[in-house]
Amino acid sequence: MSFRQELNKINFIRFLSSIKLTVVCLILLYILTFVGTVAQVQYGLYQAKSRFFESFFFLAFGFLPFPGGQLVMWILFLNLMTVALTTIDYAWRNIGSIITHFGLLLFLVSGYMIMHDAHESFLNLREGQASNVSSAYHDWEVAVWEAATHKDPLTTSRQVTSIDTRQIKPGQTINISDLNLQLTVKEYYKNCEAYSRPVKNHILNASGITEIEKADLLKEPEKNTPGGIFQVEAKDGKAVDVLLFGGENGPLTLTADNKTYHLNLRLKHYPLPVTLKLIDFKKEEYPGTETARKYQSLVEINVDKIKREKLISMNEPLRYKDYTFYQSSFSVDRFGNESSVLAVVKNSGWLMPYISTFVTFMGLVIHFIMVALRLRKKVY
Amino acid sequence: MNKFSKTTFISIIIFLGLILSPHVLHAQAICPLDTIKPKKVESLEAFKRIPILNQGRIKPLESYAQSLLLLFSGKTHYKKESADEWLARFLFAPRTTFDDKIFLINSPEIAEALKIEPDKHRRYSYHDLDPGYDKLKELAEASNSIDEKSRSVVDSEILRVYSNLLLFSRLSGAFSFAVPHPDFYIESPETKKFLHWEGEQTKFSFYDMLEKSESLMQAAKDLEIKDQKEWTDIEKNVARILSGLDFWGEHYANCPIGLIPTQSHDNEEWISPMDTILSGFFDPVYKQEIKYLREMVVSYWNGSQLEFDMNAKLFSGSVFERLSPKEKKIVQKIPLELLYNKFNFLAWAKLFYALGFFVFLLSLTFKQKKLYQAAVGVTILGFIPHAFALVLRILILSRPPVSNLFETFIFVGLICVVLGGILELVNKNWLGLVVANTCGVILLMIAGKYSAEGDTMQMLVAVLNSNFWLSTHVLAITIGYAGCCVAGIIGHIYILQLLNRRSDSKGPEITYKCMLGILGFGLTMTFLGTTLGGIWADQSWGRFWGWDPKENGALMIVLWCSIIFHSRIAKMINPLGAAVGCIFVLINVMWAWFGVNLLSVGLHSYGFTSGIANTLLVYVLIEILFVSITVPILGKRNIKF
Repeated sequence: MSFRQELNKINFIRFLSSIKLTVVCLILLYILTFVGTVAQVQYGLYQAKSRFFESFFFLAFGFLPFPGGQLVMWILFLNLMTVALTTIDYAWRNIGSIITHFGLLLFLVSGYMIMHDAHESFLNLREGQASNVSSAYHDWEVAVWEAATHKDPLTTSRQVTSIDTRQIKPGQTINISDLNLQLTVKEYYKNCEAYSRPVKNHILNASGITEIEKADLLKEPEKNTPGGIFQVEAKDGKAVDVLLFGGENGPLTLTADNKTYHLNLRLKHYPLPVTLKLIDFKKEEYPGTETARKYQSLVEINVDKIKREKLISMNEPLRYKDYTFYQSSFSVDRFGNESSVLAVVKNSGWLMPYISTFVTFMGLVIHFIMVALRLRKKVY
Repeated sequence: MNKFSKTTFISIIIFLGLILSPHVLHAQAICPLDTIKPKKVESLEAFKRIPILNQGRIKPLESYAQSLLLLFSGKTHYKKESADEWLARFLFAPRTTFDDKIFLINSPEIAEALKIEPDKHRRYSYHDLDPGYDKLKELAEASNSIDEKSRSVVDSEILRVYSNLLLFSRLSGAFSFAVPHPDFYIESPETKKFLHWEGEQTKFSFYDMLEKSESLMQAAKDLEIKDQKEWTDIEKNVARILSGLDFWGEHYANCPIGLIPTQSHDNEEWISPMDTILSGFFDPVYKQEIKYLREMVVSYWNGSQLEFDMNAKLFSGSVFERLSPKEKKIVQKIPLELLYNKFNFLAWAKLFYALGFFVFLLSLTFKQKKLYQAAVGVTILGFIPHAFALVLRILILSRPPVSNLFETFIFVGLICVVLGGILELVNKNWLGLVVANTCGVILLMIAGKYSAEGDTMQMLVAVLNSNFWLSTHVLAITIGYAGCCVAGIIGHIYILQLLNRRSDSKGPEITYKCMLGILGFGLTMTFLGTTLGGIWADQSWGRFWGWDPKENGALMIVLWCSIIFHSRIAKMINPLGAAVGCIFVLINVMWAWFGVNLLSVGLHSYGFTSGIANTLLVYVLIEILFVSITVPILGKRNIKF
């Protein structure tokens, strides 16, 4: 107890554990939530989310620095932690309130975990098609691999080195030691337009593009098409400029140091621990309407050559280790071939919010029942 | 007969008539029967029980009649006629409805554009609109080319009126097969003899000719090889009738009225009588069912009740026999739905709640114990039909009672009444009664506004089609809304009590404690509902929280409630401040409940809410006005914010 009193003497700790700080943070969070909701009309969910909720600071009206959601939640976390350490009275009559606030702490922790660990991708399968690689919705990578020297038709796998484009900046140099290549970023835009104009200095490109121009980021991040110009330098010191654009169909081919390489700017690929094969996609509508009643994908799950079947439908995903496969959407091409889109989420902390929900709710119930009983006694 | 297998599209109301040929609108060309009136039948008991598949749900004709009339005119009856009576007249004797003023056009601008004299009830007849059809079509095509989000109110109204007019004209031909028509009149006795018709009759219907199809087909064979110039009178008549049959077959195909289920159970398709004739008249089962319907038309005109009822029952019975066990179960619930339609339970509930509130107002001047007992009784009388309506809906639809905006109002209303009842049981000081009656009336009135949009028992889209989540997440969140609403109402009462304070009365203090108690309840349930929603989202989309507008709306309620509680503990506000906070919780609830739908972004935009924005704004302004007047007055009396 004395240790807690010591702590309480420190001004900064007293500030951090103050309930007025809590109120201020809650009000800030309230404002952020409202603004972040209304902003979605203009900027779309993705941009609103990263600007207001995932940020530490942003500029309100273009000039006024305003705390972002992440900062506010960090302060709330510290606030709760210091209160738990210093001021809270661990007495039975506070049990409900204590449980509630520990539940909320758990929520903040799970939020952090999910933000840093979870990622979403998708798997687009035609009926009969199988795959063990999913692609990101809007994160891109530069993939580099060496062309096959021997052509074995039976093996289709290849060693690919990929560079995440989320963090790359012009001027940055990336070493690809496996392939003895060095990549320097000259230009990189998250969204750009590609042109093919007659110019003098020729940049190597797979589809005749000569220039890229920066474009504004779009409301839906999946509609952005990135592009960049990179200098590729081989071990022998020879350098060549290449232009990669996200809208291209095939990879670029490059010969350096007597070897042939392929480069491609593509949606990030994620290897999956299982191979999924779409056996059948089913869609059911309410009779006489176009309102969907059910979507279902019958898939074959192949783990180490052991196969089993599973029906994935809305509200009934397939869970495998940290991965979850959801029925997301579907498409039918003009030949009537159906394909199903499965959303793939890797999230090792998916159970955390479930637990937090349960703990916090129980705390609230206990707290308000106890308060109500006490109030009744007082009134009468 | 492959030509007619397009029937899968029948129920799509085809906008803009792009697929329809221009003459389609002028349904029911000259029918001599419009000169005499049908005798009609007295009772439509058997008629209204006939099952129909509409908007994905099997329902009684009565419900169909009500939603159809509501769609056209915004009312569930036409003048003194009930929806059943009107529908029977519309289906069996469509010409008699062409002067009924049933098309609601809210914007006088549209009436003006169509060169119609604006009507003070804003309702117009088919004959009023028909001359302006080409203009309306032109306007509708222009409106349709505008993106749905940027359409003006007038644009949407034009599209609504246009699609209603198309629907009306297509439905008006649904039973034309049974009505005599000049295309099939036969004056010449020779031709009649050739077709084996006995008696004096010269006026025949499409259906009559179908019955003679064998003789007609026989004659048609001869016609093919013979030169047109050499045709006899009989053959000319036969050719005329055959071309009439052919024309009708195309003209009345794909009528959007699902009365007759197809034979296969797999596709759950129900089609119109005419489409049934086209796709399989020679199937004995279909033929028999068409015959029952035809007899219904005839007996409706002749006014023979017995035959009408008999054929309606035989038709329903024959359809029922062919249904799958699942569909049979739904049809067996038709009596429940008729019961729901017959007694307007919600209107009664609304009436009693309003009466309860009135009794409370009386008690302010006349302090009598009897008034209290009367108020308790009236509130209970309101609660019974309210709860009964909800239970009936659960039974009819076999799903939890909250699946569209309309139902949320009824359900939240009921929970508010229950919460009010609990408060009353605890305190016995009018507070709970006032809360119950106020919430009951207001929420049922809003529900009434929403029910004006058609059938309130719609089917659910795939992601919502889960009874488990509907009954946990949605119920929890709406109970939370109810708690917050009640807290908000009590907030108002608290402030009014303070304004009206008599010396050492304990009233406001009890009210304050009730307010915080209910707010805590609202917070807990909203929290539970929101996080359960997160769990549902995790189950179906793979993320617990996505900052979707609806999620944010609920989060804002939770945050606001915690702000109230924490700033109270921090002594940043006084009880008056908490009461004002509760009033603003109400605004938060409105925002989360249907305000965010106005943004039309995100996954939850299921409610049609255009036009609500202004109402919501006016409401917010009134609350701000209320607070900014009362708080300074109380401040002068040393009651601090």
